[in-house]
Formats: sequence, C-alpha cells, structure tokens
Amino acid sequence: MSAAPTRTPPRVARALLRSLLPGDVRDDVDGDLHELYAKRRAERGAAVAVAWYWLVILSFIMRFTFDRLARALRSLAAGEAAPSVLDIKLGARILAKSPGLSLVGGLGIAVAVALAAAGYAVVNSYFYPDVPLNQGDRLVALTKFDNQARREEERLLYDFLAWRRELRTITDVGAFRTIRRNLVSESGQGEPIALAEMTASGFQAARVPPLRGRALIDADERPGAPAVVVIGYDVWQSRFARDPSIIGRDLRIGRETHTIVGVMPEGFAFPISHQYWVPLRIDPRAVVAPGTGPSLNVFGRLAAGVTRESAEAELRVVTRRLTIGGAPELAALQARVLPYTEVFMHGEVGGSNETMATLRFLVALFLVVVAMNVAVLVYARTVMRTGEIAVRTALGATRTRIVAQLFVEAFVLSGLSALVGLGVVAVGLRMFDAALVGILDGEVPFWMHAGVSFGTVIYTLALAVLAALIVGVIPALRATGAKLRGAMGSLGSGAKAQLGATWTVLIVAQVAITVAVLPPALLKGWEMVQEASRPASFTAGEYLATRFVVESGAEPAAIASENDAAAADTARAIMHRLIARLAVEPGVAAASITTGAPWEGIGATLEADGRVTEAKRAVILNVDTSFFRLFGARMLAGRAFTASDVPLRYVDRPVIVSRSFVTEVLGGGQAVGRRVRYQSLGKDPRPWLTIVGIVEDFPTAIRNASESTKRGARMYQLAMPGELRDALLTIRLRGGGQTPETFMPALRRIATSVDPMLQLSHMSTYDAMYRDYTKGGTQLALVAALVTAVVILLSGAGIHALMSFAVNQRRREIGIRAALGAPASRILKSVLTRATRQLALGLGIGLVVTVAINRVSGGAMMSGTGLLLVPVTVALMLVVGLLAATGPVRRGLRVQPTEALRAE
Amino acid sequence: MTHQGIGEFEQMVLLAVAHLRDEAYAITVVDEIARRTGRSVGRAAVYITLRRLEEKGFLSSWLGEPIPERGGKARRYVKLEAAGARALRDARSAAERMWRGLDPASLRTR
Repeated sequence: MSAAPTRTPPRVARALLRSLLPGDVRDDVDGDLHELYAKRRAERGAAVAVAWYWLVILSFIMRFTFDRLARALRSLAAGEAAPSVLDIKLGARILAKSPGLSLVGGLGIAVAVALAAAGYAVVNSYFYPDVPLNQGDRLVALTKFDNQARREEERLLYDFLAWRRELRTITDVGAFRTIRRNLVSESGQGEPIALAEMTASGFQAARVPPLRGRALIDADERPGAPAVVVIGYDVWQSRFARDPSIIGRDLRIGRETHTIVGVMPEGFAFPISHQYWVPLRIDPRAVVAPGTGPSLNVFGRLAAGVTRESAEAELRVVTRRLTIGGAPELAALQARVLPYTEVFMHGEVGGSNETMATLRFLVALFLVVVAMNVAVLVYARTVMRTGEIAVRTALGATRTRIVAQLFVEAFVLSGLSALVGLGVVAVGLRMFDAALVGILDGEVPFWMHAGVSFGTVIYTLALAVLAALIVGVIPALRATGAKLRGAMGSLGSGAKAQLGATWTVLIVAQVAITVAVLPPALLKGWEMVQEASRPASFTAGEYLATRFVVESGAEPAAIASENDAAAADTARAIMHRLIARLAVEPGVAAASITTGAPWEGIGATLEADGRVTEAKRAVILNVDTSFFRLFGARMLAGRAFTASDVPLRYVDRPVIVSRSFVTEVLGGGQAVGRRVRYQSLGKDPRPWLTIVGIVEDFPTAIRNASESTKRGARMYQLAMPGELRDALLTIRLRGGGQTPETFMPALRRIATSVDPMLQLSHMSTYDAMYRDYTKGGTQLALVAALVTAVVILLSGAGIHALMSFAVNQRRREIGIRAALGAPASRILKSVLTRATRQLALGLGIGLVVTVAINRVSGGAMMSGTGLLLVPVTVALMLVVGLLAATGPVRRGLRVQPTEALRAE
Repeated sequence: MTHQGIGEFEQMVLLAVAHLRDEAYAITVVDEIARRTGRSVGRAAVYITLRRLEEKGFLSSWLGEPIPERGGKARRYVKLEAAGARALRDARSAAERMWRGLDPASLRTR
C-alpha cells in the first residue's frame, strides 16, 4: 500500500529539509514529520497542515544549523575535528619556508589590522562609550532638537524646571553648565578653571558619594545660601596636598569666596571633566518662558524598568503642554531622550554618523585590499601545491579537510600578524589618549578612555579570521575545485592551471594601482617627514603670549544673558584697563592684542580691484595698532595703523598687506591705495577695503619655517580689544633679567588686580608656542610612511609572486628550450619581454589614472612638483618588476632538461 | 565511564522515554513531556537532545518496521540504558539532598 500523492507533505519543503539536515537524523525526522503531517491533515485540512509543515521545517533547519555550528565549535575547542595541532605546525613550517612572503604578507596584514582595530577601538570608546558609573547606561540627556536649524536648543531652563517637577519615567533630573572663573591664589595670582554649575541632583544621578564632607544639597541652590564648592580628588591632591582638614577651608573663585564642603573620590569628573562643583542657583523670577535664559545641559536617570523610548514619549507630552499658546517655532522643537554621552559628542570631537560610517568602511576596505593582495601571493603558492593537494585527495582527504588545513595555515599568518597589529594599536591608543588631553585642553570627558577592550580583541580576532578566509580559503577553494582532477594527471610537472589571462590582468592591475597611488602617498609622506624632522623655533626669546577671556559674572549666574551688551562693555573696559596697566609696567616693552600669533590666521579668498581679476587665497589676521611695532616689522610703503583708524566701522577701516601679498594677490606694482575685497558667496558683493601700507614678510625670527608659514600672502585688519571674542595677548619684555618664564606669575597677579574675572590661559613663550604649532604632523607622518612602505612592499612582492608563478608555468618550456640548446640570454629575453610588456601596460594605465585624478582634484593632490614623482615611481616599478621576474627565470634556467621532460 | 551530569531538559526527555517504555520515539516523547508538564516543547530540540543522549550512552535506538503513513520510513525507537537510569537517579538524589530540611518559609517571597 502506498500513500496517495495528495497525502504527501509539500515537496519543496521536504527537499529543503532533506538537503539541510545532518544525514544521521534525516530519515527519522522526515518520517516523523510525514506521520504528523498526515495526522494533522486528516484532522484540520490540507491548508493548515501545509502551513504547519512549512513552519516546522524552517524551525528544524534553524535549530539544526545552530546545533551544527555549536558542535563544530565544540569539536574545534576539543581539538578533535579537522584542523589539528599538526596543521598549525605545518602552517608555521610553511611560514618559515618562505620567509619573504611571510614577512611581507604578515606586515601588510598587521598594518591593515592595526588600522582597522584602532578605528574600531576609537569609534567605540570615544563615540559609543560605556559610562563608567553605577548603571551608567541608565543615565540620559534630555534635549530639545531644532529640526529646522539642525541643532540642539540649549536654553532649557524653563523646560528643565517643568521636567524636574513632572517627569515620572526619569528620576534625579538635574542640569548643569560649565563656567570659567579665575581661581585666585593667596598671592593674588589668578588661574582660570572650569566649574560645573550643577544642581545637587547631579550627585544623586551619578550615584557617587563624596570621599570627604558632603556633596551639594538642594539647600545650596537657594538664592542667598552661603557660597560653597565641592572639589575633585585631583585638585585636593595637587593643590591642597591631601589636607585632611580641607572641609571648611575657603577658596577664592572669581569675585566670590567659597567654602569647601566636600571632596569627590578619585576619577570622579561628572558631568564631563569637572573638578570643581558649585550649586546651580535659579532665580524663579528669571524663568519666564521656554527658550529663554542661559544654555544648560539637562540629564537624569531612567526609572526602573523604563525604556528610553517610553521616557521620551512622556517627555514629549510634558514638553508639548509647556509650549501651548507659545511661539510656534518653540512647538516645532522635538524633545528627545538621548544616551548621556551622545549630546556631548555631536560636532565636538567626532563627525556625523555618516562620516564615521564612511571611515569604518574605508578602513575595512583597506584590510580587504591588503588581504586580497596577500591572497594573490598565497594563491600563486597554493596553485603550485596542486600536486600535493591532489595526492592528499586521492589518499582520502575530503575537500573540507584540505580547505580547513589551508585555512589554518593562513590563520597562523594572519593571527600572528593580527597580534602584532594589536600590540601596535595598544601603543597607538595610549598615544592617542595622551594627544587627546592636548587637543581637548586637558578636559577629556570622564568616559573617554581608549584601550584595548575585550570588544577590540574580539574584533581583531574576527579580522584575522576574515583575512585568513580571504588569504587561505579562496585560493584553497579555487585550487581544490573542478580542475583538481586534471591536476592528478600531471602530478610530476608542477602546476598546470591555465591562468594566463587572469595573471596578465592581475599584474597589469597591480602595477597600475601602484603607479596611481604611490606618487601622492610618497609626496604626502615626504612632506610630513620633512616638516617633522626640522625642529622649528622662534628665536626671539623675549616674547610671551597668553589667551584671555573676560567672563560676565553676575549672580545669580543663571539670569545673566550670554549676549548682554552691558557685559560686553564691561569686558571691553577691563581689557583697556589691562593694556593701560601693562603700559606702565617697567619690564614690558610693548603689548598687543590679536586674534592669533603672526604665523596663524584664517584663510580667505580675496578679489583685487583693477587689472587682476582672478581671486587668490591669503591669510587674514586681526591686529591692533601696536602689532607691527611689537614685532619690529618694517613698513615698506605707506603707513601703519593709527589711532585715527579706530573710530571707523570695522568694514570701513583700511588694511595693511605683506610684500608677498602684493606679488601673489595683486600681481606686483604699486599697491598702496588699491582696493581688495572678500569673495562673496552670496549675490551681494562685499565692501572694498583700501590698502594703506605694505609691511615686510614677517616674523623673520622663525628658523626652519614650515611651508604654510612661509607662504606669506597676508592681510592685516585692524581690530581693537573688545571687538575680538577670543584673543591673544602678546607681550615683549625689555630683557634685563626679566625672562618670559619669570614674568608669567607677575602677569597673572597684574591681571587679577585689574579684575578677578579676567582669565589668562595657555600662557607660554613664543618659542614653545611655535614648536607646538609645527609638531602636530609627526605621528601622522609616521603612519603615512608606514602605509607607503606597505604599499611599495606589497606591490613589489605581488609582482614577484605573479612573475614567479608565470615563469613556473613555463618551466617545462624553458627546460625544453634549454635542452634544445637555446642560449640562456635568449630564453631570459623571451620571458622578460612578456614581463616587460605586462609592466608597461600597467604603467601606462596607472599614468593615465594618476593624471586624471590630479586633473579632477584641480592639481591639489600633487601640488605641481609632485608630478615629478610619477616618472620616479614608474622607474621604481620597472626595476621592482624586472628584478622580481629575473629570480624566477634564473631558477627556471637551472632546471635540468631531463627533469623538465620527465613527465612527457 | 566518567560521571556526566544532565540538564533539566535532558532529564525530562529521559523520564519521558522511561515512562513510554516500548512506545518511545521522538513524536511520543514530545507528546509525553507536553502532557505531563503542560509545557509546549520544541520538536527540533527533542531530536537534538535524543541524539546527544544516545551519543552519551544514556539511550540506545533501533528502527521499527517501515510504515506507509510515514512515506515508507521506519520509526526510530529509543530505550533507556543503564547509564541513563543511573544519571536520572543521581539527578534525583542530588535534588532531594538539596531539598532536605528546607524550611518552607524560606521560599516565601514578599
């Protein structure tokens, strides 16, 4: 008896099941499900039974696939499955047998893995960090996003009070802002510090108790409460020598004296990188409407069991209620609940998510390209082992077993390289961390600590596996493929794979890519190495400079508006008092306030009046009337700025240009009296500026100036103290025992005596400042040099491998020709002619690509002189290619004719 | 043989096989567990577990007669082996030792 055809389960599903289940259970499962299907069909009908059958089949396939994976992993761990210790030994032996290949391939993989892993580690620890606080992942930032302006609304005071009152899904709602004040020492020296003006709830949200004394409490926030401050461990240690009786001591901050009430434990820097905390005092009278008041950051903790999404839903309801009847643009703001760190990262250190994704993609692509390159090297070798593989197959090795063995061989290489790469990353991340302290001015957020995390190790391991898959498995699959049987017939004669066209394409592509990539890489690398190897200095030692800021300090701080005109007037008055005070200081020869040092400035495109029509780039610096006198810069024509220029509007004031500006932007000739203007980006032209003077190219005191400093097309615009938001004060000392170093404390005292709100930061000598300015490229130069070296090595090795392989293919032909009496030189020539032809084709294509890229980039890629490097690269590649071909050919010539002909 | 512990699900499968005696094969094992515990059981999980228990020597299996309703396939019956019975007894006595002397009040939660 047989079942009617309609009673059988769906055929496709059944075939799927049979093809994907392990052999030992296939029949049992098939039979059982058949039985159940028949039963179900009889009880519930065909449609239900078919649907059920499909679902069950899919669940079986999934379960058994997982089971298979788990078994494979278990057996790998137990060392009983395919790859064995012997395979690893074999892999190591093969590495040792061809040290050149191993070294070059290994180096390539190591560099690629290092770059990829560093990218991963940086992205994760800096942009998607774990917040190192008790349940730090529950900490959130509350924001309002302006979808039209694409930015966060920061004036959140009104919303904050409502959020704190009403939210149920978020607890410990708090707010802070960073303010800068002078910490005034007992000797009267002011030193700017960053303070967190924070609600007491911040300490509850962070869940960190104080080490000594107490944290801030709600009562501290009330207007009129005594001024208190909580300090960090680092400050307690460095400034107070771990004084056990620190609680109750006074600290002069700005114009106020605060009592120290607590010390926070080591490592605590919540909300960002703070070491001083003062209460955020809010005057309820000042809180009138949403979108007013100072900038604030609002944070809180998700209540137990609440997700970010549900908290956001409640936040939106509460926020919408606040804006009813208000301005429509306020209602357009979108309230959001973000992971705590995210709000600080946007546009600060990192880029947008798209940029990060692109970066990750490029890094991964680089690894794939390098691995492919190494794969080509390995493939050439694997194909030459076709005979060995065929024998093993004949002796009963399965294809899986052979592929696994070749994978392990490749993994020995990629794993070792990855380990080296990881070491490089560990060192590099430490350097990056240190560099970050400089970049962020010592204010590194407390959650930012790069290091080789468990995640990074896993990622590196995955990269090593990926590299081994590309390097080992792809060649192995190709080598063990359909052609294998053919190889059995020609065991003695080496590889027989017919790959002529493929190899030609590979060689040509390899050479072309190298020629296209190498010149710009070499050029950039060389430029960086040059700059880094020339220690620059500013020889005039008597200059010192400091950044300075006047911050408005009205109390309670929360009601002071950021753009208060009165505050700006106060700031201007304070700066004038400082300049006046310095003028009577005996040690000071001159002082000047500018936007930057003479070698700094902002690039801009300018148009000249009259015959020159092409717009040119120049560097713009805002200076005051004493600037040229301060540096002793000679006026070559016209006049310097005078006090009579000051009352004019900023855009109507005359400008002074450098001599290089005259030749580069104006095309030479008489310059005084001519006019220039900024290139307009919109429709309306910008106002003309009249040139009243020409100054020599300076500063001349710089030794070994960098390229960018030397390009001297500069334009100076007159700006007065108070008009500049963030300004640099430069002072020249008279000498006579007074050095910049000894004058620094005196300068701090003078500034504090003028006004405690006047903050001086980044005080240093000009020499140190200039060295800082130029040294940035060193690490980058190292990386560029490393990458360039890898490119050269890999392409040289790639050509060598391909040539070896191509010559090996022709070993028999070479042997026969030698046996027939052909002179070695003739054979050499015939082989090299082919190699040269391939090289030439590659060089040609590469050249076309290089020139095209340079054209498209508007010549920026090689900046003119770099094109000279192209013939150098071509020559280099020719030499590398021909050298690479010569070795294999000479080996071919040594082949005994009898050996070559044995297979015939 | 070294002592091997068994998991909760393995225990249930072994007990179902013991209950079913000569009628134990994958389908009846699934039904037996579902009937006695009231839990729904993943069918694929039972096959995987049966295979594993057989590899451990806790069960043995043999094929019955080919059956037309099964597309001509035979049923694979399973039976408890001595090692399986011992593992079950061990698991039970271990659990009983853990329960012994436990104050019922200790299990009350607020």
